[in-house]
Amino acid sequence: MCTGRITFNNQLGPHHLHMAVRLPVKFPDPIPGQFVMIRPTRNAGPLLSRPLSIYNYERDQNQVILEFLYRVVGRGTELLSQLTPAAEVNILGPLGRGFRIEKTRSHRILLAGGMGVAPISFLAHYLKGQVGGKHELKICLGAKSCAEIIGIERIKVMQGFLNIATDDGSMGSCGPVTDLLPNITQGCDPRKTIIYACGPMAMLKTLAEQLAPTGIPCQASIEERMACGVGACLGCAVAVKNRRKEIEQKSVCKDGPVFNIEDICWDQL
Amino acid sequence: MTTNHKVHDTPSKLTVEIGSLKLKNPVMTASGTFGYGEEYAPYVDLDRLGAIIVKGLSLKPRRGNSSPRIMETPAGMLNAIGLQNVGVKSFIRDKLPYLRQFATAIIANVYGETIEEYLRVCEILTAAGGVHALEINVSCPNVKKGGVAFGTDPDMIAEVTAGVKGVTDLPVIVKLSPNVTDIAAMAKAAEAAGADAVSLINTITGMSVDVEKRIPHLKNITGGLSGPAIKPIALRMVWQAASQVHIPVIGVGGIMSAADALEFFIVGARAIQVGTANFVEPRATINIIEGIEAYMKRHNIDEMDSLVGTLRI
Repeated sequence: MCTGRITFNNQLGPHHLHMAVRLPVKFPDPIPGQFVMIRPTRNAGPLLSRPLSIYNYERDQNQVILEFLYRVVGRGTELLSQLTPAAEVNILGPLGRGFRIEKTRSHRILLAGGMGVAPISFLAHYLKGQVGGKHELKICLGAKSCAEIIGIERIKVMQGFLNIATDDGSMGSCGPVTDLLPNITQGCDPRKTIIYACGPMAMLKTLAEQLAPTGIPCQASIEERMACGVGACLGCAVAVKNRRKEIEQKSVCKDGPVFNIEDICWDQL
Repeated sequence: MTTNHKVHDTPSKLTVEIGSLKLKNPVMTASGTFGYGEEYAPYVDLDRLGAIIVKGLSLKPRRGNSSPRIMETPAGMLNAIGLQNVGVKSFIRDKLPYLRQFATAIIANVYGETIEEYLRVCEILTAAGGVHALEINVSCPNVKKGGVAFGTDPDMIAEVTAGVKGVTDLPVIVKLSPNVTDIAAMAKAAEAAGADAVSLINTITGMSVDVEKRIPHLKNITGGLSGPAIKPIALRMVWQAASQVHIPVIGVGGIMSAADALEFFIVGARAIQVGTANFVEPRATINIIEGIEAYMKRHNIDEMDSLVGTLRI
């Protein structure tokens, strides 16, 4: 557990915020898809920390800066949203298994719905060194409306190919982000392609169904309520098929949050 | 010889005995809140703990309940994990060798759907070696069979306890449910049947509703409440049980700090378990051990026995 200090906590959308926290250098380097458990140090509210996916991090000789994009959904995130610069937070992490970069798959498609943009943007940034040459990177973002398309500044300046879809058509195409996929995957070689996705469970379920006949592999980062973040409380269980195709309970916090999309038992959610 | 023997010559003020089980301090991790120990090893020096009580073990692996399994509530949380566990054989093969390397007592929490299952699991754990005591879970509120069905009937508690005592020479702790009218009667039933100690309380059955969707927050509908919200109830029950039995009482329920732990000792608990606090602060157990030490120094108390059951009324 580390104590960090807020450097900014800005409102971005209707219930969306962008927070940066300064941490001591001992904080380990996170990989995209990993998360932290975070709570205000002076805590008069919820007992448990909240899991937040890492949006960005920077390290120099003296400090680590972690950034988060989050949406206010309950009391815990509401209290986080009220923190002002210099306020202290307790952070446990980085936690979980992030996205696994498959170097042999040169065609990478990143797909984010809603707040899924946070880890996907981190991943895009992480992969950008490999953009160009033989590697190709395409990014699809979806949200309810243009007001909720956030956190794309870093992606916009990248050479990647950015596609946007909104439910109300106020930005990009009208409809779910998964509707963008057929066009993007058309004609691509499933052996050289991989999809990295994060978003609401309904979106990921649709994605799983859509991808099943194509043979294109996909790593999906999923969400569940958590108490401990380290695999002890077993609160965030998800049914997953193992290599022998047996169904096992896995912890989203420790075994995930990133799983192969075809391993998740979507019918049991 | 210049070896300093001081460390060995001066036993820690914090040592306690639970039946034949000697603990270096009275702080244990509550079952189900500390995994199999390994999960917290990056954050906690496991050698410093009085005991590690592992997640409840059944004869066969259990997948537990469907998600959502947890929900935070004011000053606490509800859980309905449903005793997901790897099963006793896999525990012995995959988890116990890791735990054996620590100089900390390992207590296996045991669950069964039937008395026969309780006994079989206890036999297997006893034969395995490396387990220092058994905690019998007759109080899980989140399973359809066994668990609390045994823990709300003194005759059933007695039957399970006597049965377990017959198949093991390890100290037996019976973990009691608070979902009863008379906790002391349950403690006495366990004591009369030969229990070496009782631990209390397990979680209190509760529920929480999403008013927008009008659905329960937990898939299981009800769950067990833990955390600071239940501490006053736990404390009252520990006090009631401790004044009625002669075997050690182990206090559990909402202990977040050394001050909380001390309340339990003062009302009669010989040891305590830290549960939900581990989720909030992985180092909670260590902070509590250090806080108890500091309190004893400040009050010139030399041994735990001079503190236990010293409530002034």
